Amino acid sequence: MLAEIIKVLLLLLLIVCAVSVNFTKSLLQSVIIFMAYSSIMCIIWVLMESPDLAITEAAVGAGISSVLFLLTLRKIRETDRGEDGGEEA
Amino acid sequence: MTLEWIRFFAVAVLLLGAVLSFLSAVAGVFRFGFVMNRIHAAGIGDTLGLFCTALALGIAAGPSMHLLKLVLLVLFLWFTSPVSTHFVGQAEYFTNPELKKHLRVLPPEEETNEEEGRTDAG
Amino acid sequence: MKAKETFLKWLDGDFDLLAHVADTDEHPDPGRAELKREKRHINRRIDSSKAEHRVERAEEKGFYALYTLVAVVSCVFLIGILLFTISSLPRYGVENPETTEVVRRYVENGLEETGAVNIVAGMILDYRAFDTLGESHVLFTALICVTILLRIDNKNMQSRYEDYFKIRMERYHELTGESIAKIVGMVLIPSIFLYGIYVLLNGQNGPGGGFSGGTVMGAGLIIFAATYGFDCVDRVFTAKRLNLLTFCALGFYSFAKGYVFFMGQNGYENHIPKGTPGAILSGGLILPLDIAVGLVVACTMFGFYSLFRRGSIGGGWKSDREL
Repeated sequence: MLAEIIKVLLLLLLIVCAVSVNFTKSLLQSVIIFMAYSSIMCIIWVLMESPDLAITEAAVGAGISSVLFLLTLRKIRETDRGEDGGEEA
Repeated sequence: MTLEWIRFFAVAVLLLGAVLSFLSAVAGVFRFGFVMNRIHAAGIGDTLGLFCTALALGIAAGPSMHLLKLVLLVLFLWFTSPVSTHFVGQAEYFTNPELKKHLRVLPPEEETNEEEGRTDAG
Repeated sequence: MKAKETFLKWLDGDFDLLAHVADTDEHPDPGRAELKREKRHINRRIDSSKAEHRVERAEEKGFYALYTLVAVVSCVFLIGILLFTISSLPRYGVENPETTEVVRRYVENGLEETGAVNIVAGMILDYRAFDTLGESHVLFTALICVTILLRIDNKNMQSRYEDYFKIRMERYHELTGESIAKIVGMVLIPSIFLYGIYVLLNGQNGPGGGFSGGTVMGAGLIIFAATYGFDCVDRVFTAKRLNLLTFCALGFYSFAKGYVFFMGQNGYENHIPKGTPGAILSGGLILPLDIAVGLVVACTMFGFYSLFRRGSIGGGWKSDREL
């Protein structure tokens, strides 16, 4: 019974995270909420008794893809700043 | 029998302490406005709350393989989370232009001088 | 011959194939840089209140309305197709031969047919090894695509000096001066690698396998590169070695599985010992294939990170001394 309640709560959190990734204004916040989504998904995989997927989800979803997203964000900001400076000058 | 009850109460008290510290961490992260205060609040949950939880679970499990895993878990998280906290604080220090509104920033040389002065005086 | 030269110029990014098309259509004589800037700043130009752009703004508004409409219609179409497909699937949890026969075969005969205690590993690396082969090649192809998009090599470097300054800035952002990061990395990186190797080698006995262990090892390499700097990683992990490692792993996978498929199709014994279930050296080809997949995944993850950070995997651009 308790396990069912926890599972339903986790699924609701998953939906909340998935929706709020789209509706946050800041891209950095979106990336961090996506990390939270991956972590919740990892716990759900463990509860569904597939720990190998949980390991992969934790390493890829919460680790590597977030790092790549953050690097991309910084590249976007660099190019934006460069072009703004060009317009002003 | 009494040993069982003592163990139960120890586990319960430790788990309640862990929950309390996690609650204070969550409240601090949401209530404080400045990043350094938030880091401090989150650090309490990361270290004390985790330690209380792991200790309670270790007492409940007794000497077994689970205990070893819990010790390794605590070691790993005590290694990583203060370091990540340190880097968050460092990023704030390097990027926030209005840092001096919130706290007193000492340049590194002054800090060392002050400490030397203290040791001299002491 | 001219077409080939133009194509090569286009590959290098010096020449815009669509530039003169855009010239004749909209603008009589704009500079190419201005054209590019306008393309990139469509959103900002909607907000700008210059009178001379009013007509174009109206066109762009129409374009965005059309864009939204097409997006919504295609999404609804896709959702309809997926729902239609789901409606034709067999019902979940109901006994019928389509869903239960294969599962029963895997669960009952999996151990003796594949020699792996972990049935998932037996499925993805023995029964459905062709699928996993495709997945590994997809990862390799993704690495190639990222290389094509983000690579900065010597030729580009000499033509564009700002890339050099960007790379210098990347180095400035590295944590190489941080003694805290270095000491913690000294403790953490070996344990992360140890855990990755443990997961990789235990794929046939417990949860884990090529993808999980490979991603953990890739994350360890990324942490290594982030704390100790790319100079440290380049000593052991150059682009040439990464390519060689990936090529050998994929080639070994293809040859080994091709051999097994060929023998099985023609009804021969394939002479690969299964070993005792539960030992590390068991499961026939599952352990070597796990190692191959794990190497490919780790190389791909590190290659992504390296290409995103500095535009090369290692040894692709000139060092400080040469420039």
